[in-house]
Amino acid sequence: MDNSTPNMPEDLVRLLDNELAVEEKAELESRLAADPQLQQDFDSLLCTRAAIRQYGLQQQVSSIHLQMMEEMKEQPGKRISPVRKIFRYSAAVAAGILLIVGGFFAYQFFTLTPGKVFSAQYQSFELATVRGAVNESAVEKAFRDKNYTEVIRLHDAGTEAGIKTEFLNGAAALELKDNAKAITSFNRVISLNKEAGTTSFRDEAEYYLALSYIAAKDYKSALGLLKKIGDDPQHLYTSKVTAGLLRQVRILSWH
Amino acid sequence: MEVIRNFPDSELLGNLRSGQRMEETIKAIYRGHFEGLCWYVMNNNGSRQDAEDIFQEVLVSFIDVVQRDKFRGESSVKTFLFSLNRYTWLNELKRRGRAQVREERYEKGQERVELDTSHYIAGREEKAELLRIVGELGETCRKILVLFYYENLSMKEILERTEYETEQVVRNKKYKCLKQLEQMLNANPALKETLKNLIHG
Repeated sequence: MDNSTPNMPEDLVRLLDNELAVEEKAELESRLAADPQLQQDFDSLLCTRAAIRQYGLQQQVSSIHLQMMEEMKEQPGKRISPVRKIFRYSAAVAAGILLIVGGFFAYQFFTLTPGKVFSAQYQSFELATVRGAVNESAVEKAFRDKNYTEVIRLHDAGTEAGIKTEFLNGAAALELKDNAKAITSFNRVISLNKEAGTTSFRDEAEYYLALSYIAAKDYKSALGLLKKIGDDPQHLYTSKVTAGLLRQVRILSWH
Repeated sequence: MEVIRNFPDSELLGNLRSGQRMEETIKAIYRGHFEGLCWYVMNNNGSRQDAEDIFQEVLVSFIDVVQRDKFRGESSVKTFLFSLNRYTWLNELKRRGRAQVREERYEKGQERVELDTSHYIAGREEKAELLRIVGELGETCRKILVLFYYENLSMKEILERTEYETEQVVRNKKYKCLKQLEQMLNANPALKETLKNLIHG
């Protein structure tokens, strides 16, 4: 080692670099404690080393700073992997959809009533008009005249028994909001057809029975019947049974 | 591809104290705290460039404090960095003569952190002076001294990174460079005093 430097004894540098043996170190430390000038020389070395370390640290931070600014420029905000980014966007979209769908269902749940569903689906039954028909029964005439009380009276009198009278009785009861009577009559139309092996007013009876069940808040029966109608492409009312109607009846059943 | 991960405070402090995985650790500090600290400066009359400069100073001061075991762990790294950031930026504003910031009020706890650490931190001007002096040293000297005293490489490792033929030649060169830098520092008593304060802080 170069020992020609008068103000920087070799031993002090070796002490600074932690290269002295234990005994040498202890001896030099004793000398430092006893010699203020030597201690001052050593302090000067410590300052120099501190300066280098400060410089090294500043340079390293400065170099990393440039790298990090590039990284942050490429990906503003927190750096996330592409997979995580896709997942995050998907989750956000899913959450948005969930919020909209959830809001829609919540709105339906709290605002939907059997009366609303019934009114949206219900249309008064109208008898088919046959040109020049002269053999119209009293029940048919009363129904056509919208005299529903008379229809029921004639039905109950039993003078014009039959599937058609039974159906018109149910339809009249439904017009008068007598859901229980309507349900009984429509069910009877269905059973009479079954017994006779006919289909007279059967499809009409099934559809209006389903609406009667909704009005009477018997959603389980209504849903079963509506599904049957919807699943039968030959049914007269199959187009009336939409997914929306089935969903609404399901929502009503959760109330 | 570089693996990006966050460090818990304990691991981060351990790495800084030991000098291990420094680059990875400093990058983790950038990713975890740069935007928040940058936001503070930019919302207090600072530009983006100011915020970047201040963050680098904060980082150097923080690592320095940790490596000298002056970080007592009474607050989280995040809180400590925020206090350093505020302290450094306010000093800079004062330096620029914006006296009104002195009127700004701070929460008591945060102010205490600042006061406890302020005497361990070299000022911006001293740091700039240090860069200037070491910069004048010459590239070879800077390289050897930084590799030995900052990166803690052995003479053998330094030999592999330089064009010298033997370890002894490198050792002699390091000795001369150290002496040269010492003389340059002796010519700047104010900076030397700052360094003394940093050592004995």
